[in-house]
Amino acid sequence: MIQPQTHLNVADNSGARELMCIRVIGASNRRYAHIGDVIVAVIKEAVPNTPLERSEVIRAVIVRTRKELKRDNGMIIRYDDNAAVVIDQEGNPKGTRIFGAIARELRQLNFTKIVSLAPEVL
Amino acid sequence: MAVCSTTTLSIGGSVFSGQLRHWEPNESKLFQKPRSRFRWLCLNDLHLLRFRTKTLNFNPRGSLLPSLYAYGKEADDAFLSKVNEDTDEMFDDLMKKYGEVVFRKNDRKSPSAELDDDAESLSFAVEMAKVASDVKAADIRVLFVKPLVYWTRFFIIATAFSRPQIDAIGSRIRDLAEKKYGKVPSGDAKPNSWTLLDFGDVVVHIFLPQQRAFYNLEEFYGNATLIELPSETQPPFHT
Repeated sequence: MIQPQTHLNVADNSGARELMCIRVIGASNRRYAHIGDVIVAVIKEAVPNTPLERSEVIRAVIVRTRKELKRDNGMIIRYDDNAAVVIDQEGNPKGTRIFGAIARELRQLNFTKIVSLAPEVL
Repeated sequence: MAVCSTTTLSIGGSVFSGQLRHWEPNESKLFQKPRSRFRWLCLNDLHLLRFRTKTLNFNPRGSLLPSLYAYGKEADDAFLSKVNEDTDEMFDDLMKKYGEVVFRKNDRKSPSAELDDDAESLSFAVEMAKVASDVKAADIRVLFVKPLVYWTRFFIIATAFSRPQIDAIGSRIRDLAEKKYGKVPSGDAKPNSWTLLDFGDVVVHIFLPQQRAFYNLEEFYGNATLIELPSETQPPFHT
């Protein structure tokens, strides 16, 4: 359940370290974003000397949430952190590698590029 | 029961911490790559769980867990072998000694059916690669990634030199797949600097040269088997 003002970790090597959600993309007045949703976020903390800087506004896909993700087969996945991957307007990831485990739901939501860069798909 | 389980767990914990010291020399090497570090943590987890089963044999939940972990480990063998050969052997020995399969999912296909599916996907992938080379895509690689990732069998990685060419390659592949095999890809509809066509068992990546170097997928899937293409004997397009 990511909403505006939520702080998220960054799960890639794009250079951003921490994001803050400022808008959930979707229906107007959409309240919460879950795994696989696109958000508009601002970079709160960045690695020095990287293309991305603090206070830059970017788009990101949520890849891990503390709120549990339920599957039809009864499986429930809950991660330890809220994490997102920075993408550009075309949907290509800004980083070249993804860190940590991600859920296979991203593939169904047409983020196969992120899935193919990830080390572990649950 | 409660008291008993806590004591045995602490025994498991002490054994585990003893093993951890043994691991330390590798630590600095592994920490360079976050991926390796993640695996390493998994390994320790696995380690602990196995020792726990050794002491907690009467607990049905305890004995169920390692089989699941072992299943994951088998799947990850390709990754692990590169991380550290010695530890791999050590775990194999431990698995032989204490591991047993307690639970197995029954939705797995028989090996022969798997092989049939592999062959079918292979012919499809080779056909797609041939179409891509017809439209002058350069540096086409077909990778057998099934041992590395569970979610697909083959990757086709190709370079195109302009967006119209990406469009041409994408639409040719889409047309042939739909006409001959009845498969419709998901993925990018518009040409993109990294265009991805997802056919389920086969995933096609078409890059511009710059993006191909940037994302460097071949290196990421470096352990995958490269499939030889029949048309590769011809001289490459870019010279």
